[in-house]
Amino acid sequence: MSALRESFTAVLALGETWEGRAETEPYECAWASEGIFFLRALEVEGDPGGASAAVEISPDGVHWVAEGTTVALPHTVDCTTFAKIAHFGGFVRLVAELPPGVACQLVVSLALKG
Amino acid sequence: MNDLQQAMLRADPRLSRFTPLGRILYHDDFAGGMRGWTQLVGNYAGSLDTMHEGYRQITAPMLSNLTGWDCGTHGALGGTYALKIATLPRRGAQSVAIKRITWQRPCPLRLEFYFTYKPEARDLQLSVRDLRSFGLLFDLQNDERRVMPHLRYLSTREGEAVQRWQYKARTVPFRRIDDQTVTHYHLEDRDWTALPGAAQELCYNEIPSKVNWHYARVDFDLATMRYTHFQCNDVSYPMDDIASLEIPAMPNLRGMLNVAFFVETDTDKRAFLFLDAVLLSGEWD
Repeated sequence: MSALRESFTAVLALGETWEGRAETEPYECAWASEGIFFLRALEVEGDPGGASAAVEISPDGVHWVAEGTTVALPHTVDCTTFAKIAHFGGFVRLVAELPPGVACQLVVSLALKG
Repeated sequence: MNDLQQAMLRADPRLSRFTPLGRILYHDDFAGGMRGWTQLVGNYAGSLDTMHEGYRQITAPMLSNLTGWDCGTHGALGGTYALKIATLPRRGAQSVAIKRITWQRPCPLRLEFYFTYKPEARDLQLSVRDLRSFGLLFDLQNDERRVMPHLRYLSTREGEAVQRWQYKARTVPFRRIDDQTVTHYHLEDRDWTALPGAAQELCYNEIPSKVNWHYARVDFDLATMRYTHFQCNDVSYPMDDIASLEIPAMPNLRGMLNVAFFVETDTDKRAFLFLDAVLLSGEWD
């Protein structure tokens, strides 16, 4: 019987209110081969429109570069959005720039598997 | 522990660096996952906004291979990965990881762990005074009392070297969240008292990305709810008169045997505590 794969869900923002520039803390996950960022809104002020958060990767947890994947900010309370990532090296995070007048209280999680 | 059991432990390269009691409750080397170590979430009711601000700063633990921009992957002690606890980049920020089980009988306990600690290696500087403290706590409850032994290594205060192991024995006020839930943030940077003895210098090494692993052992007796031993590497501390934070027993917690590790930064830079491995053992027939 083959071994089960490892899995771990890290909650990167627990009820944080994002407005203006926002980012999650760096998360190390070199052991994983795939992940899904989930964003769930607890409260939404204003209209996020087409605003999204961008996945960034890093060689060292200090210097960051856009990975190319984006995930839409949820528009309504309890709306959940997601983005799948793979081949991300050792460190990942999400960054966002919310439009003026927009604020989202979020739960951001990263479901990893590898 | 009989001779055969001891010989088998000494012959196992993963275990021979430990001195466990007769029953190993867990041995987590993080080579195969998080092993039940998780983020400490504060109590809440109705809304996350009811959570104590002390708990809101706590981040998710992770598996780290200790990679730096200059040396690449440092790796852990027993394999590639170690458990990493990271603070926010804000002076005084703390973070915690916890593992929760229950005790089967009021027996002697022994917690052993190998650890290292560093500030984030983002500056081309020694950075030895950037991390304030790291430590561990038990959270225990029997029929009468909730007992929370806390120990920490205060490396730095306000940029000045301290390098003392400390304990905490004073409770903090509880805050009621609703009719069933209360909260208290017991890790605040207050009410810590130095253990008897001299300062203990730990090996920091010479740049932020070089780490050295250290050993520590805490013995605590569940029958008496007292410390019986504490050592870090070659230095042992007299623990007979060292008290723990104690409060009356609380609902729904009987039998609790939680272990948590924490780290705190002294600057606006992330501080990291790494563990590889953690072994909790007890003594009974």
